[in-house]
Amino acid sequence: MKRSLTVLLSMMLLMSLFLAACSGSSAIKEKGKDTITYAVDQAPEGLFIPGFAGSAIDSQVNDFIHDDLIKVNEKMEYQPHIAKWESDDNITYTFTIEKGIKWHNGEELTMEDWQFALEVIADPDYDGPRYNYVENIKGADEYRKGKADSISGFEIVDPYTAKVTFKEKKVNNLENLWTRPMPKKALEGLAVAELSSSKEVQETPVGLGPFKVKKITPGEYVLLERFDDYWQGKPKLAEVTIKVIDPSLSVGSLENGEVDIMEIRPDDVEQLESVPHIDVKEQEGLGYSYIGFRFGHWDKDKRKAVDDYEKYQDKRLRQAMFYALDREALINAYLAGKATPVDSPIPSVHWIRADDSELTPYHYDKKKAEQLLDQAGYKDMDGDGFREDPGGNKFEIKFGHYAGPSAFEGRAQAIIQNWKDVGLNAKLATGQLVEFNTYNEMKDNDDKELEVFFGAWVVGSDPDPSGLWASTAEWNFGRWVNEESDQLLKEALSDKAFDRDYRKDKYVKWQQLFNDELPALPLWENMDLYGMNQRLHGVVIDATGLRDFHQWYVK
Amino acid sequence: MLAYTLRRILAIIPLLILISIVVFTLAKLMPGDPFGGEIDPNNTNPEYIEEMREKLGYNDPIHVQYMRWITSFAQGDFGKSTTYKKPVSEVIAERIPNTLFLAITSLIITYILAFSMGMYAGRKPYTIGDHAIATFNYAGIAIPQYIIAIVAIYFVAFKLGWLPSSGSYTPGLEEGTWDYWQSRMQHVLLPAVTLGVFSTASYTQFLRNDIIQNSRKDYVRTAKAKGTKESAIYNKHILRNSIIPLVTFLGFDLAALIGGAIITETIFTYPGIGMLFVSSIDTRDYAVVMSLTMLLSLLTLLGNLVADLLYGVVDPRIRY
Repeated sequence: MKRSLTVLLSMMLLMSLFLAACSGSSAIKEKGKDTITYAVDQAPEGLFIPGFAGSAIDSQVNDFIHDDLIKVNEKMEYQPHIAKWESDDNITYTFTIEKGIKWHNGEELTMEDWQFALEVIADPDYDGPRYNYVENIKGADEYRKGKADSISGFEIVDPYTAKVTFKEKKVNNLENLWTRPMPKKALEGLAVAELSSSKEVQETPVGLGPFKVKKITPGEYVLLERFDDYWQGKPKLAEVTIKVIDPSLSVGSLENGEVDIMEIRPDDVEQLESVPHIDVKEQEGLGYSYIGFRFGHWDKDKRKAVDDYEKYQDKRLRQAMFYALDREALINAYLAGKATPVDSPIPSVHWIRADDSELTPYHYDKKKAEQLLDQAGYKDMDGDGFREDPGGNKFEIKFGHYAGPSAFEGRAQAIIQNWKDVGLNAKLATGQLVEFNTYNEMKDNDDKELEVFFGAWVVGSDPDPSGLWASTAEWNFGRWVNEESDQLLKEALSDKAFDRDYRKDKYVKWQQLFNDELPALPLWENMDLYGMNQRLHGVVIDATGLRDFHQWYVK
Repeated sequence: MLAYTLRRILAIIPLLILISIVVFTLAKLMPGDPFGGEIDPNNTNPEYIEEMREKLGYNDPIHVQYMRWITSFAQGDFGKSTTYKKPVSEVIAERIPNTLFLAITSLIITYILAFSMGMYAGRKPYTIGDHAIATFNYAGIAIPQYIIAIVAIYFVAFKLGWLPSSGSYTPGLEEGTWDYWQSRMQHVLLPAVTLGVFSTASYTQFLRNDIIQNSRKDYVRTAKAKGTKESAIYNKHILRNSIIPLVTFLGFDLAALIGGAIITETIFTYPGIGMLFVSSIDTRDYAVVMSLTMLLSLLTLLGNLVADLLYGVVDPRIRY
């Protein structure tokens, strides 16, 4: 009995091995001619109606399934898409959409769907992160507090026309308006509190986009199929599989054809460039890295930064520290050369970005760094090879960096070495790279160890940098307080700023101030990198990511 | 035996309570919460984050949070995942079948390989075959699982293209069909072998040594003297004795396999509870992390219990 069981089990195992061996790669070869696989390196959270999604991966999936009423172009300027708009007074906007645009379930898109989306997001029971995209509409607060039955600033004129009235005249109202309708017919029966966990959001989302969901396996696949009635024309691909893979598998999966397109890391570029059927696409993105300085602390009650920390007050010290950094070498060594040194904290793709000629370039210049330090009084007085501060006390820079891929350790040490080379005694804060969540908590709480810290931001399409650098911004982690900066940022959002040249001029002035004051050292802009199989065509990539999915095709 | 079993099961309860206190405290002491970390500054404002913290009670004193959690936990409500916006029980239930399938496949492969190699090596010790098996075993014990996983992916999946490198099935296949199960089998094979390498190696060595020892015992000599066939001696008499200690490993193995799946699943992007565990720690999804740790603790305790009970079943000399 026991023996026959063993024999049976061995047979089963052998058989499965055999089956596996002879048809193992069928998954790859059988892939249809107009089917592609797009890989992501983290599992989606599974919220497939925009408005509920908060993670980057969910947003990437949603871009295939959904569409926006208005869109940004490659310079982050707002453009009509499904909807056109007009405004006489810059406070009330009239939006019109075309007739006959279809949802995946066959319903027609009307302004009610947009209204529904806004009211869901403004509902007191709503648990997603997007209320700040609705709060500028007149009456949103009242609706949220339950004092009104509808948002008074949103008025439907006819099914294809709606008027949006904002609370106040602000130049970036449009950038901060929620313009993704939700399929009212599919969702209206559900309580708002239950929406995010409902099947309609997580498993069977109805969208307007070029692809509709065929099947979702949580944590693993999202299988999409062509939506024939897509308003911009029938998509050329029949199916798109969005697949989750571990980052360590990205090179191999692209190489053997399991994956057709995915975002890759700089470490993988070299290996992929040697694969004949893979193209590496580079795109200037919306992310940049910086080194921040600690100037004070965050006053939680008054919700503003207070500058009460003296150590890095002298801007010559900060400038010297910037000149001392050999950014080209850092980029080549630790980012595979795939980043661009910058001297402004505004991404180059934003239309408000100052021209390089208007900014002081901080190219690597050891002599200049040393001169500046000498001028500022940082001199080596006791002959130990390191500079003392102007008061003659020992001067030590504590530089914090978070843990991550292996390149981070080397990068942090290289930065420290750059500073040591000009006589500044730098060392790693806490003695080691700090776990990412701990690091963020230390920044939030103004931990004394983090005097100088490495950071990175990915910003959105709204160019206004107030959320990061104004003295009332919680994410101004250096706690930089500068009246001129606050004033310029305010002016750039004022009435006059509806004149684009005026607005841009204010931002350029702000960037010049930043560039001179250097409350943080903007290091480099990260390049978004994609690995793409050459059989795939028609792919458009810009700073916001992949786009024009309906035009993609396979040859 | 029944009294003993009941006593052991009752003893699990206070242990679980203690574990829950430790797990909860450790989880809350981890720096950060689901709302920290990489935030898109244009999409989420600080007020919203503070509001959510308040709403979810993360600002309450820790003992208040613990009491709230443990009361609902005891009533079968494991809380709601902040990441997946669904009840934790649903999130875990979605992933458990994959992990169980992986663990069981791994167990079957382990036992088949360990038995065939152990028997062979035990019957023919100090031959080339035995040495080859020993080399394999020492490598399996010495090399960490994640390295084996990556090497296996590189050669078997990428270079030879025999087996898929990630996922649990090929998307688009109808669930329940023959193709679907074949695809699942293909996908599980590589992670299962990787997961089982360590136990395969140690079982094989264990079995081999036990067989060699047994073959020198008096009852074997008697059997030989009576002219019993060699194969009968090994397959019936010796194996029966050597199997006893191995059977008891089964209990420990269940918990170990599910725990070991954490690394394997993550590398193979195999969506079971191991991968879920790692990503939940990353995102500080407290409810999921705590429920999974409790689940793993419970499995370990039950595994120990099963092992202890099996001793009595396979060896009648042991009385409780």
